[in-house]
Amino acid sequence: MPPELLSGSGRTAARTRRNDGHGSQVFRAGMNDLVFAHIFDVLPSPYMVLDRELRYVSVNRAYEQAVLKQRDELVGRLLFDLFPNEGESGRRLRASFAEVLKTGEPDTIAFIPYEIPRPQSEGGGIEERYWTATHTPMLDDDGAVAFIVQNTVDVTEIVRLKQASTVPSAAVPGELALLRNAREVEEAYQETRSESEEFRRLFRQAPGMIAVLQGPEHVAVFANDSYARFVGHRDVIGLPIRQALPEVAGQGFFEMLDAVYAEGKSFTGEGVRLLIHGEGDEGLSETFIDFTYNPIRDAEGRVTGVFVQGADRTDAIRAADRQRLLIDELNHRVKNTLSTVQSMARQSFRKLPQAQEARAAFDARILALSHAHNVLAERRWEAAGLRVLLRQELSPFSRSQVTMSGPEVHLTARSAIALSMVFHELAANAAAYGALSNDEGELVVSWQVAGEGTGRHLSIAWTETAGAPVSATPLVEGFGMRMLHRVVEGELSGTLSLDLASGGLICRIDLALSEVEEFASTAA
Amino acid sequence: MQAQPHNTARDVAGLKVFVVEDESLVAMQLEDMLFDLGCEVVGLAMRLKRAHDMLDSGMAIDVAILDVNIGGEKIYPIATRLRDAGIPIVFATGYGREGLETEWRVCPVLQKPYSASQIEHSILAVTD
Repeated sequence: MPPELLSGSGRTAARTRRNDGHGSQVFRAGMNDLVFAHIFDVLPSPYMVLDRELRYVSVNRAYEQAVLKQRDELVGRLLFDLFPNEGESGRRLRASFAEVLKTGEPDTIAFIPYEIPRPQSEGGGIEERYWTATHTPMLDDDGAVAFIVQNTVDVTEIVRLKQASTVPSAAVPGELALLRNAREVEEAYQETRSESEEFRRLFRQAPGMIAVLQGPEHVAVFANDSYARFVGHRDVIGLPIRQALPEVAGQGFFEMLDAVYAEGKSFTGEGVRLLIHGEGDEGLSETFIDFTYNPIRDAEGRVTGVFVQGADRTDAIRAADRQRLLIDELNHRVKNTLSTVQSMARQSFRKLPQAQEARAAFDARILALSHAHNVLAERRWEAAGLRVLLRQELSPFSRSQVTMSGPEVHLTARSAIALSMVFHELAANAAAYGALSNDEGELVVSWQVAGEGTGRHLSIAWTETAGAPVSATPLVEGFGMRMLHRVVEGELSGTLSLDLASGGLICRIDLALSEVEEFASTAA
Repeated sequence: MQAQPHNTARDVAGLKVFVVEDESLVAMQLEDMLFDLGCEVVGLAMRLKRAHDMLDSGMAIDVAILDVNIGGEKIYPIATRLRDAGIPIVFATGYGREGLETEWRVCPVLQKPYSASQIEHSILAVTD
């Protein structure tokens, strides 16, 4: 080992040499030292030695020429003071030094552009040069890194040759191919490194919970911010899951993890109840989560861990519960209100004999409305099927007299109520005066959806065939007729046609599907 | 329901009323009540678009009775047009005054269900 490097006397020695015009014959140290120092100095490629603080301890002549600085301008100074570099190259260089200091192992940068100042005598300014750099640690007696030896190979000329070259890549000389290879390796390494950092950052900040568990004990090796928040910012990393989250024991989750690890099959749960210690919780909190456990496999296909993804659905599920309660309460109240209205009508018109018929019609209308509410309540007011509404209204009549056909159409709550009133008026009319007023008449209700895109429409045909001669009175007049027009033409913006002339009532209703349908039908 | 005789100095008979209401039966009842009061329903729209079309036609209107939610849309664009034209407005809604945006709370609000005499009083309150 050259003592001038280790003793820190390099500075003096360097000055001495320089004063003597780099003469290789001038050395003051002993024979062995002289030989090693000499060899160091005359090595054709640039070498320099840094201490742990990245301060120059020694440089050889090739290095001086490479960086265009004399050694007494270098020795004793910090590398990054002389050659500040906040860019990618500087970062990469620092990382390499740090790696060597940490591991005590050599580290190589295959290809690195690095700018150095050009001396005034050569025009000044900044010159960009390209290097391959090897950093080798020199250990002290305790095995700690005392110095770092850097050997750089200036590949600038090769790079420039390549940049200027117009020869196709197949004709590139061996040196260039080697360089390009080195550069590609370096770029690939950098890319992988930044990609995996990017992924890590994305995972960490993802809104969903993400954790990686390793081994049969499910040791947490990664948990993102969302997961950490969910478990109350407890330290879970490095702990087996049963130890990290002891309160979860007995809730079935650990057993599922065991099964996923053992069988290599993923597992998904939705809205699953989980009691857990959240942040600042005295006791356990009730939560609801959606989660997936996916096995992680190595190159041979063996399961090595479990990838956990989860979403805290507690608020959404609580809100849905509250809404369900409210809707149930609303249904209950609507029913009670309808009964109250019915009762008041009965009391109000009880003493009027001429009002009995009107009262019966009124009762039937209230009931029809109530039935439509039932259908909607069953679906939480989301949608009601056209067929169900019709079946409900026509159920009192003999099946042999009534035929229904048409595709299922999901109606909005609003159009379901409106159409159920229309069907009630038509059915009441048929029962009083039309096809259903005798045993021989027939009623066919058919409907279809036709048209494309926004032009799609629902056509309903209500066709009565009178079995026996029916009353010649205009069938739906007064309230019923007025309501049909109001609902179909006004409220639903559709068209209504009534034909009373052909031995039975034919009623056609045409509605834009967008007016009445709850959601876009999947039918093509 | 029977209209009560009352001793108002003015009455609403002959007034031209514009109605926007999207529930068929509520609209029919309002029509009947206005008819009984001697008013003329010059327009009844159950959709916002239809209401705009009717206003575009330039019909003469003395007073408007407006539901607030019309098929999922708010009535305010129509209300604004009417206010700009100097036509008095009465709102009719199941939500009551709280269901109205603040700037419109100066107008009378009929809470559903309402009676014919409530309609009459509201109309009298906004017409001269």
